[in-house]
Amino acid sequence: MAKILIVDDDEDFVSAVNLLLKSNGFDVAIANSRQEGMEKFDEDNPDLVLLDVMMDEPDDGFVMAQSLKKKAKDIPVLMLTNVGQVTGLDFDKDSEMVPVDDFEQKPIMPNILLDKINQLLGK
Amino acid sequence: MQIIDRQKVNKQIKELKKKYGDDRSALMPILQDLQEIYEYLPDVVMQETAHSLGIHPVEVEGVASFYSFLRTKEKQGKYVIRLCRTISCDLAGKSNVARQLENEMGIKFGETTKDGKFTLEYTNCLGMCDRGPALMINDRLFAKVDPEKASQIIADCRRDFLKSDFPKVVPSDVKKAGPILDHGLKPAEAIKKALSMSRSEIINTIRESDLKGRGGAGFPTAVKWQLAGAAKGENKYVVCNADEGEPGTFKDRMLLYEHTDFLLDGMTIGAYAIGASKGFIYLRGEYLYMKKYLEEALENRRSEHLLGKNILGKDGFHFDIRIRMGAGAYVCGEETALIESLEGYRGEPRNRPPFPVDTGFQGNPTIVNNVETFIDSALIIVKGYEWFNIHGTEKSKGMKIFSISGDCERPGIYEFPFGIKVSELLKEVGGEDAKAVQIGGASGHCISRKDFTRTIAFEDIGSGGSIIVFGPDTDMLQVAKNFLEFFVEESCGQCTPCRDGNPKLLEGIEMLENGRCSVTYLNELKKLGETIQNASKCGLGQSSPNAFLSIVDNFKPEILGPAAAGKLTKEERYARKR
Ligand SMILES: Cc1cc2nc3c(=O)[nH]c(=O)nc-3n(C[C@H](O)[C@H](O)[C@H](O)COP(=O)(O)O)c2cc1C
Ligand code: SF4
Repeated sequence: MAKILIVDDDEDFVSAVNLLLKSNGFDVAIANSRQEGMEKFDEDNPDLVLLDVMMDEPDDGFVMAQSLKKKAKDIPVLMLTNVGQVTGLDFDKDSEMVPVDDFEQKPIMPNILLDKINQLLGK
Repeated sequence: MQIIDRQKVNKQIKELKKKYGDDRSALMPILQDLQEIYEYLPDVVMQETAHSLGIHPVEVEGVASFYSFLRTKEKQGKYVIRLCRTISCDLAGKSNVARQLENEMGIKFGETTKDGKFTLEYTNCLGMCDRGPALMINDRLFAKVDPEKASQIIADCRRDFLKSDFPKVVPSDVKKAGPILDHGLKPAEAIKKALSMSRSEIINTIRESDLKGRGGAGFPTAVKWQLAGAAKGENKYVVCNADEGEPGTFKDRMLLYEHTDFLLDGMTIGAYAIGASKGFIYLRGEYLYMKKYLEEALENRRSEHLLGKNILGKDGFHFDIRIRMGAGAYVCGEETALIESLEGYRGEPRNRPPFPVDTGFQGNPTIVNNVETFIDSALIIVKGYEWFNIHGTEKSKGMKIFSISGDCERPGIYEFPFGIKVSELLKEVGGEDAKAVQIGGASGHCISRKDFTRTIAFEDIGSGGSIIVFGPDTDMLQVAKNFLEFFVEESCGQCTPCRDGNPKLLEGIEMLENGRCSVTYLNELKKLGETIQNASKCGLGQSSPNAFLSIVDNFKPEILGPAAAGKLTKEERYARKR
């Protein structure tokens, strides 16, 4: 059973996604900050990471994606964010600065999220 | 009246467009150069500039009238004398110099002599706070001016034989250097090292150092660079904020001159990290004398392949820097106002978000950093983050460069770690008997002796490095008045609390001076001050009442003095009793 690590400081979002993933047969690990996320990544060996951008610092998601890819470049990272709507920041996948496998805007429809996850897990 | 030949103006504008570009961002430098030629900006000149850049003449006039160094109304004198009226020069005896200047020329401030020889004006902070009173004549600076020297200077101008105090650039007065100022690096060492690293490695090194912006606000530099690096954009920009307008600050003046290569290294590293190909140094109008020197430095770097295409042979890394001059508006130090100014608009701060990191110069991702921040970044890249973050406090890492002026024995530039106690600092500069210290310039806080055990750090009393010491005899009401006059003049006028609130506070001070301000009214003014802090759009308005409020809090018995002396009206006495 695939394990997903959710790294996000928005508790409502985390609990909704947690529920959705569990009811679809995934194992879930949760972290609310970049630091916690990195610890959980080492402890739980997830198969995929769902990653927010703005947490304690506005660039935490980018920084964490860079660290993750240095550690384990084959674990897919799906960036989920509404940073664009909040701040106007428009960014793109970029192997150096934003090394994620894909990204989606929040809020996101459950079926779209599941499709994306399955696609990234190669199912 | 001067007859101006439109065709000639047009030809001049055409030439200037070749130099500065033909979009709106060329407006300011074109106007500045045209003013050099015509000694002011006559209507015809503004109209032709407008037509040539495809904008409405009213827009051009709107821009020109915003900046105090651009003149639209009358021809300025051959010698424009600008006397600094900021608090440090005030403490050093500016009033006597002012009176002597008026006596010598037979005009008041704001006027031009009939023979067109002299214009006399006040200006805010010339960045010479440790050598006041200071004045500027055209682009030349004069320090430690007393009435006699003022008289001599005017006589020299009359003979058109003006000798400058500083034939080249103002020498700096570094009283205490530390790891930053004594870095011992060679030029370009930092950029060479950076080019061997990846972009994210550079930003991570800066992140580990925990460098926070040295311009005052203390925003983490790595976060700014990371966001701009992640932002989508073909044309990204690196801007050095060399506006140094905060009264009492003069450390950037020294850094720009004595650490030029390391500043340029820092900017180039920033460009490489975020993926920018163009940069600006926004240099305050008062530092015009430094422009030529900086341009030479840029030219040298071009010839050494440290600027231009494929820098140091790095394929695809192109970066160049241009200098843009400010024109006497303090608010243009605020980063979004600075960007507006670079784009050729009035220096009016923008709403945020969006932030410059994604929507900066002409809508492109842009980082704006202070001079010292860029220099620190370059040093950190070579020496490593631990070299930097072993100094300072938990939340304010590193050493900081301070500009110290006012009533102390050894004013000048000092390097101290963040977290230094105010009392320790006063001991170093010979100001132990101070009655009060203004930390962070006009927009900072004024503390009294009871707080001298507090520290200078972002988590206690933050500062961009301006420290003004007030001796035992200082009239604190006059200090508050000086700062408020500054803000009343420098408010851009966009929002009501700042535009209309600060004059009300100033009026309150005048009432206090005349013994006509009740405690009740003073409390109302404090509430107004808090409203201005909360409701203003940009940092200028938000911080403008700080000095007033802290002086009222810390020196209440003193500033209420005149009122207590019994000059109140019956109603006011009644109000005070309530
Ligand atoms: C009214 C006002 C004036 C400012 N003036 C300056 C200035 O002269 N130099 C400067 O570096 N920052 C100044 N700032 C701060 C800038 O807005 C900005 O925070 C800074 O340039 C960012 O660089 P840093 O992060 O390296 O400090 C000013 C801010 C305000 C609100
Ligand atoms: S706070 Fe003052 S300076 Fe800032 S935008 Fe408002 S009026 Fe302008």
